[in-house]
Amino acid sequence: MEQPQHGTAPLQEYLTDLVIPHQRCNVNIIPDHITMLHGTKSKKQNSKKRRAHKSQTLSRREYASLGLNTLPTRQMSYEQALPLHKLWRGYIREHLNLKEGDQVPQIHEPRYEEFSKLLVKMDFHGAKLKVIQSKCETLVGIAGICVMDTKNVLKLLGTDHRLRTVPKSECVFGMHVGNMEFTIFGQHLNIRPAERSVKKIKGFIEPFM
Amino acid sequence: MTKNKRKGLITQNSVCSRMNYLYQASQLMAESHHNILAAYYGKLCRNVGTKAQIHIAPAVKRTLCRRCSLPLIPGVNSTLQMEEQRREPKRKVEESEESTLKAKSKKRRRYRPRRRKGSKPPIDTDHQKIVTDDTYGSLQLQCHLCQSQRRFVMDTRQPKECWIEHEDAIDHVVTLDKEKQPQQEQK
Repeated sequence: MEQPQHGTAPLQEYLTDLVIPHQRCNVNIIPDHITMLHGTKSKKQNSKKRRAHKSQTLSRREYASLGLNTLPTRQMSYEQALPLHKLWRGYIREHLNLKEGDQVPQIHEPRYEEFSKLLVKMDFHGAKLKVIQSKCETLVGIAGICVMDTKNVLKLLGTDHRLRTVPKSECVFGMHVGNMEFTIFGQHLNIRPAERSVKKIKGFIEPFM
Repeated sequence: MTKNKRKGLITQNSVCSRMNYLYQASQLMAESHHNILAAYYGKLCRNVGTKAQIHIAPAVKRTLCRRCSLPLIPGVNSTLQMEEQRREPKRKVEESEESTLKAKSKKRRRYRPRRRKGSKPPIDTDHQKIVTDDTYGSLQLQCHLCQSQRRFVMDTRQPKECWIEHEDAIDHVVTLDKEKQPQQEQK
């Protein structure tokens, strides 16, 4: 198949490069005599591949352009998140193997270590959290249901139907499960939520404040 | 060795319960029209599964949108409709089919309906060939969030009856006295 002339320019250059330098001026390539084949793949194959690729999963850019990374600040009301919290309570019961009237295991008990490992691996979506202590004073006292959990940030939906973004690394969170009370140091939650359930956790972690 | 296995089981269990919770949460959010959150939870459920190398059951996996992992509920966040057929190109294939039947036999088999127990065997092969043109419609399921489409080839010649409506599906009928509502149980 013959190609239009602009396609043959790099080829001419390549061919002249092959000739000994002092004879290069004698080289005369007539473009009409060049016959080029298309690449190894036919057009049909190429188009098929592209179409197949398009129907697959979203790329990060498409994902962001659909607005999936951001949540509107005042769209969801607190009441709409309550069923999520109810679901979460059932989940945490199942996850920590809790029964009625269970107490938090003391540090000298054998199941303490296992329990604390489970605690780190739990899911925070739907939990009622409250900021107890923080380096930034304005963040102290923010409470709400956790709706989104990313590597560095928690999004809490407060009772005033407003979504607030709280950085994890600066804060200490409080959480209630039944009659148990937990204090969570946000510094150690700085892992992506999908990886947290798989990641190995060191036995001793020091609190930072 | 045994200790390791047991440890593995425990972590698997916790991951499974987490994925289960996330899937339920995404369904809940989808029902209350928070599509973005629902897609986020669905995606997270998938990601946790890939990180921990756990397979989601195919039937469950298919309820999530392939592109944005939004749980698809027809009528709420997705539309389910019959697609209009393009008849002419199909006819051409059929004409050429008779001449090169051997070559195309592989291709044809893909479109042949699987015979179910209840359906009658086809009477005449020639007759069937003529009918095949109109018998296949395709169902289209479109996600409202990312506009991705899924197609299902459907046999319209079969009696239009869901499996639950079918007579064989009813194992026994339980009647509740208080509410007097007949309840059917699946096999």
